[in-house]
Amino acid sequence: MENRVVITGSGLVCSLGSTESEVWSRLVAGEEGTAPVGRSDCDSFHCPAARTERFSEANPGIQQRLGQIMDTHLALLMKAVGDAVLGSGLNAGDIPADQRGFFAGMGMVDYEVADLLPAVLESLGPAGELDYNRFYSQGYTHIYPLWPLAMLNNIAFCQVGIRYDIRGENCVFSPYADSGLYAIAEGYRTVKEGRAKLALCGGVSDKISASSLARAVLSQLLDSSGDGARCRPFSIVRKGSILGEGCGIVAVELLSHAAQRKAVPLAEVLGFGSASDGEGELSHPGSDTISQAMCTALDQSGIKPSDIDLLIAHADGNPAGDEAEMEAIHTVFSGCFDRLMVYSSKGALGHMSAAAPAVDTLIGINCMRNGMVPPTLHADPVDHRVRFDLVAGECRPSRVRRCLINSRSHEGRCASLVIGSCG
Amino acid sequence: MKKRSKRRVVVTGYGMVTPLGRNSRETFDHAAAGESGISTIKSFDTSGLPCTIGGEVDDRWVADSSHLLARGLEKCSSRGLKLMLMAASEAAETAGLDKLTDRGRIGVSLGYHGESPSIEDVILFNRFHDGGGTWDIGELRKNISYSYFNFFRRKPDVATSLLSMAFDCRGSNLSIVSACAAGTQAIGEAFKIIGSGKCDAMLAGGCEASLNFLGFLGFVLIRALSEKHTEPRKASRPFDRKRNGFIMSEGAGCVVLEDLDHARARGAAVFGEVLGYGSSADAYRITDIHPKGDGAVLAMKSALSDASLDPGQVDYINAHGTSTTQNDLVETLAIKRVFEDRAKRVPVSSNKSMIGHPIAAAGAIEFILTLMGINRSLLLPTINYEYPDPKCDLDYVPNVARKQEHGIALTNSFGFGGQNACLCLGAYKEDR
Repeated sequence: MENRVVITGSGLVCSLGSTESEVWSRLVAGEEGTAPVGRSDCDSFHCPAARTERFSEANPGIQQRLGQIMDTHLALLMKAVGDAVLGSGLNAGDIPADQRGFFAGMGMVDYEVADLLPAVLESLGPAGELDYNRFYSQGYTHIYPLWPLAMLNNIAFCQVGIRYDIRGENCVFSPYADSGLYAIAEGYRTVKEGRAKLALCGGVSDKISASSLARAVLSQLLDSSGDGARCRPFSIVRKGSILGEGCGIVAVELLSHAAQRKAVPLAEVLGFGSASDGEGELSHPGSDTISQAMCTALDQSGIKPSDIDLLIAHADGNPAGDEAEMEAIHTVFSGCFDRLMVYSSKGALGHMSAAAPAVDTLIGINCMRNGMVPPTLHADPVDHRVRFDLVAGECRPSRVRRCLINSRSHEGRCASLVIGSCG
Repeated sequence: MKKRSKRRVVVTGYGMVTPLGRNSRETFDHAAAGESGISTIKSFDTSGLPCTIGGEVDDRWVADSSHLLARGLEKCSSRGLKLMLMAASEAAETAGLDKLTDRGRIGVSLGYHGESPSIEDVILFNRFHDGGGTWDIGELRKNISYSYFNFFRRKPDVATSLLSMAFDCRGSNLSIVSACAAGTQAIGEAFKIIGSGKCDAMLAGGCEASLNFLGFLGFVLIRALSEKHTEPRKASRPFDRKRNGFIMSEGAGCVVLEDLDHARARGAAVFGEVLGYGSSADAYRITDIHPKGDGAVLAMKSALSDASLDPGQVDYINAHGTSTTQNDLVETLAIKRVFEDRAKRVPVSSNKSMIGHPIAAAGAIEFILTLMGINRSLLLPTINYEYPDPKCDLDYVPNVARKQEHGIALTNSFGFGGQNACLCLGAYKEDR
């Protein structure tokens, strides 16, 4: 029992708000963050997205010279970690810097075409073709010297570590939803093994830009039906996802350690499971693989499928992916449909890549603490093959004691996490 | 001292490809002879850049390995992935990985950052941008010259996906992006995952192939590369007074880590044991390492405490030793802080003096070379050590490999941004 791991702090920022309570109340009210992208270079994509508002406040602790290259994902991570640090009482200073761990899943860090364009334009020949000699000899000097730093996947992570003086065990994973859950699993393991007193862990999404939209379009991940596109989890008319921005971070520590410093546990981390297809299916893992991850997580938690009250599905609106997850839920939870509720946040928040399962973990905690499950948006009309109880339409007051969170990548990987209430 | 966790994790296979050789044996032999893999870059035009040298893997070696790419994977496989496959194939073959039956208990953990954008990408995007910065996505989608695979290659998880496919590994699958520390963290995470009982075996390592114009340019722009040297093979000179920057290189390294009981049960050959892992962060500055090496000290101490060992029991340190003024000075200081009076008696050497710095692959390659050195009782040298730096005054095994029995070693990796990692490894002994 002394090895129980609890969550004592949380930070959430996404298209519905920059604080956890704001996001929660808007989710319960059935609101969504979907809107036109609102960047002129993205207009021609004609796909809406769930973007975050730009943070206007300057980020304290960032060297001014670096400020120019710091981007949305840094602002999101900084805000969510900051809230988790505050909530957990880490800033009280009783946990030494080298006993603070940090594990995060980072979405793709990509370049803005505008970062490189001046160098290209400077190097064009008379016919508008790129003159390599010009580019190699002088064109490149038009790239901002610190631009390469922005391209390193771990820089935002390190910058946040500097701000909050986090010096202990750490690792950065990338780029899809499974990486956000791996981060929580590694934070969990680290505190369980006593290698850190407290670990901050979770995930942050890609920035939505012309590059990320182009990548998602070419990967056939998006609902490409134009400005009316929505992410429709488990709906019979689902056509793909929309992108979302956001970040979710939890602070985990041993229950005994939390009790000792009088930190309030918000939830308990019970177990984690992961699996990968090995088949090379490019859009999603198969139902057997998803089942495997869920079963492993349940086994590790020492509980049965019937002990789960709420399953927060990955359900990103991908036609085949949602079908595989549906089958997996049918297999693992057969016989439990009278009590199992299923929810997906992606109708409201879009697909936040590495942030998605971390945000879902925080939503799960709120469901447990508030006795309420928000409605799954845009699921109507629900796929007629769905046999489980998908919470849709309006929010549902209900006792939730244990919650399973699913995540999957586009490359056949998936991961599941089980959390339980501390009540 | 803490009690050791009950599961022991051993190495049952390893493989690599580096500028010094197409496999681990070739690389080790050339390194043992003190050879350099650094030369003028041939794969792209470097004229006009302040640094024009690097450690390239011979194209013929890569071409000879094309048979490893099965099932139409050629079109999505960049150079980095080909190198990764070469290293992983050697490791998997040595370990007999294909004979394991429970594929759900085999995982993959790799350091890789995805392919750098190419100039061709940038030009293409330029074409589909109008002057006002608006994209013509319709045309981009119709344009057959730009395929999904160009985006696919940019993703950091492609290497793990490819290996899990090629070697049918269906367990934990991690893509780690912590810059120069990525390879070491990938092995460390795999060590922990097997130790916690989630997997029986894992392919772990890293690959790097950013020796192309934009990948190289990044480090040119931040002035991290050596710009002053007499000849290419003399440019990487860790701990030497005239060092002035690192030399970028490419390559891949991969180990098969396995639960000892599992390895014993199937009669697998055991080449060594992972004893401990530690990671830390400087939390100092993005562009500079902590001047007193706080993060490096923490990582080494954490690896030792994880291994339940004292600094006094360490026989050799494979340094991060990049040949930058700052790193080598601070790493020396950090070693002195951990090893105190004994620091000058512990041999320390840097493989980067010979193979350059293959960023995400460095930790994996250096881990394997350290292990091979233990098994062959040979300390690999730090070459180009000519002008002693009074502030770097440890035993760097200068210029010539040294025959010396040693059982336990540390291998360091310090990543750009301030992430540090250290692995403790040792010769395999039945009762430890």
